[in-house]
This record gives sequence, structure tokens and C-alpha cells, in this order.
Amino acid sequence: MNLLIHPGDELPIYRQIMRQITEALAVGRLRPGEKLPSHRDLAEELVIAPLTVKKAYDELELLRFIETQRGRGTFVCLKQPKIKMSAQREQIDAAARNLLSLAYLVGLDLDDVVATLKKAESELTHDVRGPVRKTSV
Amino acid sequence: MSGILEFDNIVRAYVKAKPVLNGVSFSVAEGEVVGLLGRNGTGKTTLIQITMGLLFPQSGTVRVFGLSPATDPVAIKKRIGYVAEDQVLPGASSIAELVSFHKYLFPRWDDELERRILDRFRLSPKDKIMRLSKGQARAIALLCAVCHRPELLILDEPAAGLDPAARREFLEVAIQFLNREGATILFSSHYMNDVERIGGRAVILDEGKVRLDSSLDSLREDYCVALVPIEAAPNPETLTHITGCLRARSVSRDWHVLFHGNPDDVQKLLAQSVGINGIRCDRMTLEELFVELTGNEQAQVLS
Repeated sequence: MNLLIHPGDELPIYRQIMRQITEALAVGRLRPGEKLPSHRDLAEELVIAPLTVKKAYDELELLRFIETQRGRGTFVCLKQPKIKMSAQREQIDAAARNLLSLAYLVGLDLDDVVATLKKAESELTHDVRGPVRKTSV
Repeated sequence: MSGILEFDNIVRAYVKAKPVLNGVSFSVAEGEVVGLLGRNGTGKTTLIQITMGLLFPQSGTVRVFGLSPATDPVAIKKRIGYVAEDQVLPGASSIAELVSFHKYLFPRWDDELERRILDRFRLSPKDKIMRLSKGQARAIALLCAVCHRPELLILDEPAAGLDPAARREFLEVAIQFLNREGATILFSSHYMNDVERIGGRAVILDEGKVRLDSSLDSLREDYCVALVPIEAAPNPETLTHITGCLRARSVSRDWHVLFHGNPDDVQKLLAQSVGINGIRCDRMTLEELFVELTGNEQAQVLS
């Protein structure tokens, strides 16, 4: 499912899974109604404990990002919850400061940074409308 | 208590008056995957050998499925899979011969899992054991331990000396086994990333006792280390008396102070007791926590 897990990362593994799934939702790599692999299959794919994947799924289900339909599997909810802006806003501000200081260090100016952001945006949307849509059933 | 595995106050010494295990108690519930961690010589293998009935404790009791390894060794071993640290396999046999011997001992053999493991490690039943690489030999030891569908799997440093790819393949097999049988696993390891991948809980042995016993998620989220300049707290007891403090270890000119608590709370507690605001407190990976908990002090370098 296009997830990458790093045990030495700052977050515990179940939080890494949660974050990557919500990120995939945010950029449209995962769509409402789409079926997720079973927690056992994903555990084998990522080589992590099945219970860890189950914990991530359970937490995402509590937050109403995904739902388990008995006997059918786990699906992305049709109606996605709004992520609380206040918590995310701080992270976005911090990321913006990081990006700017990195850019200034190598001698880029604000216009270059804006151009970089636009390029990243077009790449993201291309990913969504291009190959991903073709392969999804 | 109805743990699959129960250790109660286990004491075992090889040299008189210097016990390796000096009152170890914990239990493992059905379905748990527990990493048994500790520095070299802290008794991980001794504890595993006691579980297998290969050694007996000088005091304390061990119960496996509620039975004693001393009086019911066969009943217990039927239900356990075990890979020893230095597992010896019969070199002159072929894989097929070794497997048929195990099948004869354990009738509930999982042929499909056997085939999957052989495929995964690109092994043929005709291969001679003595021609196998170290990683392949460990895979065969694991195959023999898991294919009889044990309720409890005990692995003593299963991946020691394997290359990273072989270690990952070994973990894959363990996870396939978990998915098929939902068994309980106790394993010792020095590879903290492997422990984080497959484990749910860590038990850290140190100086003969269980030093820390916690779920891995909690270790990552509910513990932190603070760096306090030694001048700020000349007497380490100022720090170790703070609620939640597990240890203060000197590293050069700082105390590395290990806390059970979240970084914001610990920062406030430190501000109150040593009078410095904004002391750096960070959460740790399992590897860092292990070092903070069991590492030696690092003397201050004289300048």
C-alpha cells in the first residue's frame, strides 16, 4: 500500500502507519470507499507485528477515517473527518520556517521558494490524476 | 494469574554469591510478543534455558502453561518451539531428513508453512545441512521450531550474526507464523529495530532484576531523557528524587536523566527542582532508551 516504516524513527510504528495513511488521504492517493489491505496482509508486507497494524487501524477507526465492515474488510470512510486546524497549523508554520531557512542558507529567495512550492503542487496533483487513477479499480 | 509463562522470583548463580538472575519476576500472557533485552551477561539465555528445563533455578518458580519444566518436561516441549542461540543441526543430514524426523515427533505439522519457508530462503529439501550458509541454517532451525504449530515460540538471539536482509527474511517468517497461529513469542535480541518491528512489549534485564517492563509504544511515548548540566545538580540525588526519575547517568559535563513521563511535565518538574527553565527533554528510540538505562557512566574529560 505504499507505506514505509522506520523503527528508528521519532514516532512509534503504529503512529507512523496512522500518519502515512492520513497523508495518503490528504493527497488523494487513498480515496473514500477504497478498500485497505487486511491488517495481517499489511503486517506481512511491512514486516511488523500484526497487532501493531491492528492498533493503527483501530485508532484510525476511532477517528472515523476508516471503517471495518464485518466480513468484508476495512474501507476508507466515504465522509472524511475534518482534521483540527489548530493542531496542524502549528506544524505547517514550523515546516514553513524550516523550508525558508534551508532555502536562505543555499541563497534562494522567496520567489524561488514559491516556485518550488508550485512545482511540488503540480507533481502531487499529477500523481493523483495520472498513473494512480489508471491502476485503481 | 493465567499467563502462558510465569517467572516468580527466579534466582540463579553460576558463581556463589554472584547471582546472574537475582529475583526475576514477570509473566507473559497468551498472544503477547515479548522482547527479552539486556546487556551481555545479564542472564537472558539463562532465563530461557530455565524456561526450557535445561537449567533449574536455585530458588523461585517457573510455570509454562501452568506446568513445571522440572516435572512435566515432555508435556511442555510438545507445545513449545525453540531456537537456541547456538543451535546445532546435524550436518550430514539433508533438510528433508531433518524435517521428516521432526514430523515424526510432532504430528500437527504445517506442510504449507514449511514450503513457504523453504521457498523464501531458496532452499531445496535435498540440500545438505552442512552446506548451508549461516542465515539458511538459522532459517532451518526456525522452520523446525514453528512448523509443528507451537503455542509458545522461544527464540534466543535468533538473528545474531545474520546480514540485514537475512534478518528481515527471518522476521517475515516469524510474522507469517504469528498470522497463522496467533502464538505467544518470547525472544531475546540485541537488534532494537527488530524488537520494535515484531515485539509488543519489552522486558529489560539488568543487574539480576527486571529493570523495565513496558509496552513498546509506551516506551516510545511515555519516557524521555533530560540533559542537565552537572553544575546545576552537583548531587545526583536532587534528580533521582524527582517523581518518575529512573536514573541519572553522568556523560561528560551533563547528567542524562531518564524519566517516565512526558517531556513537558518533566521540564516543569526540573524547573522546580534545579531552577533552570527550558531544560532539553526528548523522547527516545528503544536503542537510546536501552543505552540510557543500562549504559555505563562516562567520566568527565579533564580539560
